[in-house]
Amino acid sequence: MQSRQRTSTNGSQQQPQAPRAAPAQKAAARPPEIPPEFKADAILSSDAPALIQLLKDPQASVFQKAKACQRLAVIGGKDAVPALAALLTDPQLAHYARFGLEPIPDPAADDALRDALKKVKGKLLVGVINSLGWRRDAKAVDALAKLLDSTDPEVAQAAAAALGRISGLRAAKLLEDGLKRTKGPVRSAVAAASLVCAEGLLAQGERERGLALYQTLMRPDVPKPVRLAAMHCTFAAETSLRRQR
Amino acid sequence: MSHTSVLVNRRQFLKSGASAATPLIVPSSVLGRQAGAVPPSDRIVLGGIGIGNRGAYDLQAFLQQRDVQFVAVCDVREERREAVKSMVDKHYGNRDCAVYSEHYELLARGDIDAVLIATGDRWHALLSIHAAQHGKDVYCEKPCSMTIAESQALAEAFRRYGRIYQAGCQRRNGGNFVLAVELARSGKLGKLRTLHAQTVDARSMPPVPSHDWLPAEPEPSKLVVDWDRWLGPCPWRPYNHFYVQGRWRNYFDFHGGSILEWGSHTADLCQWANDSDHTQPIEYVPEGSNRGPFAVRCRYANGVMLVLRDSGWLGLGSCSVRFEGDEGWVETGDTSKMEASENLREFLHPPSDYRTALPNHVRDFLNCVKSRSQPRANAQAAANTHIACHAAYIAFQLGRKLTWDPVKAEFVGDEEANRMRSRAMREPWRI
Repeated sequence: MQSRQRTSTNGSQQQPQAPRAAPAQKAAARPPEIPPEFKADAILSSDAPALIQLLKDPQASVFQKAKACQRLAVIGGKDAVPALAALLTDPQLAHYARFGLEPIPDPAADDALRDALKKVKGKLLVGVINSLGWRRDAKAVDALAKLLDSTDPEVAQAAAAALGRISGLRAAKLLEDGLKRTKGPVRSAVAAASLVCAEGLLAQGERERGLALYQTLMRPDVPKPVRLAAMHCTFAAETSLRRQR
Repeated sequence: MSHTSVLVNRRQFLKSGASAATPLIVPSSVLGRQAGAVPPSDRIVLGGIGIGNRGAYDLQAFLQQRDVQFVAVCDVREERREAVKSMVDKHYGNRDCAVYSEHYELLARGDIDAVLIATGDRWHALLSIHAAQHGKDVYCEKPCSMTIAESQALAEAFRRYGRIYQAGCQRRNGGNFVLAVELARSGKLGKLRTLHAQTVDARSMPPVPSHDWLPAEPEPSKLVVDWDRWLGPCPWRPYNHFYVQGRWRNYFDFHGGSILEWGSHTADLCQWANDSDHTQPIEYVPEGSNRGPFAVRCRYANGVMLVLRDSGWLGLGSCSVRFEGDEGWVETGDTSKMEASENLREFLHPPSDYRTALPNHVRDFLNCVKSRSQPRANAQAAANTHIACHAAYIAFQLGRKLTWDPVKAEFVGDEEANRMRSRAMREPWRI
């Protein structure tokens, strides 16, 4: 017997008493109609030039531009970068712009993100830093070094995380120095980023430097989860069959 | 606000002079001498984040374990926070369960050993990673990630921090599923040929979710529902109550589609059956339509096929799997019933009730929290299963065969597919 079963989406046959919702808050049985202005199919089937044009169109809606950014993440090339970069300063669309830019392999995307560091503040700046870190843009290290001392703790934490992901000897030195002068949540972020940085060093063949960074992170004044992780990672590195002998 | 400065955990208390100065009258429950009592030193202190319908099911399983003390819940929805507090307080007969709307406050508590995460999928990987960074062990509902990149980051974080992670893939501790896997792994089926994994019926949940938005509604007060926090790392869109009340599935920004929805259970069992918890299939061939029926045929490096499909099952219940070798086959599902080729029927002992899977799975996690060994659905195994499901989804969405390099974690010669391995997170979130 063959069957096409209709069952609950979480795969469980029996559900217990869930926290009870107030009657007025219970989910409707059917989803509301999608308004025509929020239907994405036409935009998602457009080619890159049409999507770029949509981003430049002052009459285009937030929804249209948002979906164009998401589609350009898959099909956009160097030509799409200026239009996406122009949205990095738009509070409603900045994330969508990064959604589009982050996966574009062309270095023009790095240039645009680095350029945006000088144009945005607060959470938008955090987003740009996160994208530079995600792309491991080594050219951003100097700018990120300055942001490590930002008076905005979210910016400083993002800069630390980005430096950790980019890794390398210079990033390691910056983070190690940062560990000496930062406090509170920023210091915790610097410590966590240092762990990631040390792993990067090991992967790049900078074994001694990586292990030394772990050693720094084992100091008693380092937040406990990171301290324990540094011990754990040191043990793993020193006992790995792939270690240098 | 951090709680680490004001809260003292039991170990700190015992070390402090206060404990030495206190008259030494120790209740027998503290020493574990009451019948069935567990001394505090053996209890696992648990917090919960995003406990809704499914989370309540998990939480009940945790509360049934005598060595668990649930102390705090965090949710962006006031209604949920209060409902869970009420449930927990009723269970313990007190009013001690703390409530938070900000997960960092819960994770900062030094007395919490582990967290149960049962938010929507969009938060699973990020919260799990944050928990590991705060030194917590994690039991997290599936699907555990939204992308290949999140899956990798999840495994890396739990390896880096040496924390215990159990994905909510409870069928790894369900008697009938375990027996089927054992038949495959022990060679009773002969050389494995094809592993079949059921996905959700495409008519109720398509493999490729919608990019549409629901109509905009006024946002409720932040105290009632913090919409910004609810969205978390996902792209902003206007509020609609429908998403918040558990109907967020089938929308691309919040959901990975039907392959991941059940593949995180069923492909997971196939990965285990093929002894592939450390890797993923190397080839993905999609067929069928988004309205079903559909399949993605995947090939492992050892030649075994994994077929993710939504139709053609024997009717043994949701989340069915079927393992075929050159000497026999076995199929089972959530009814707990099993079917097998004639030569294997002698091995089909009366199957245990599938409903024991969750308590077993929770117990597996708690045992590993104590022993520091790896549970069955650990971060590495879960990450590899999820990467396989995401890769299958990407192949289906692109509508073409993809080749995957599990070592480099990249598709071979397909830039579009590679771009779909990650999604930029909304600021300030990152992995």
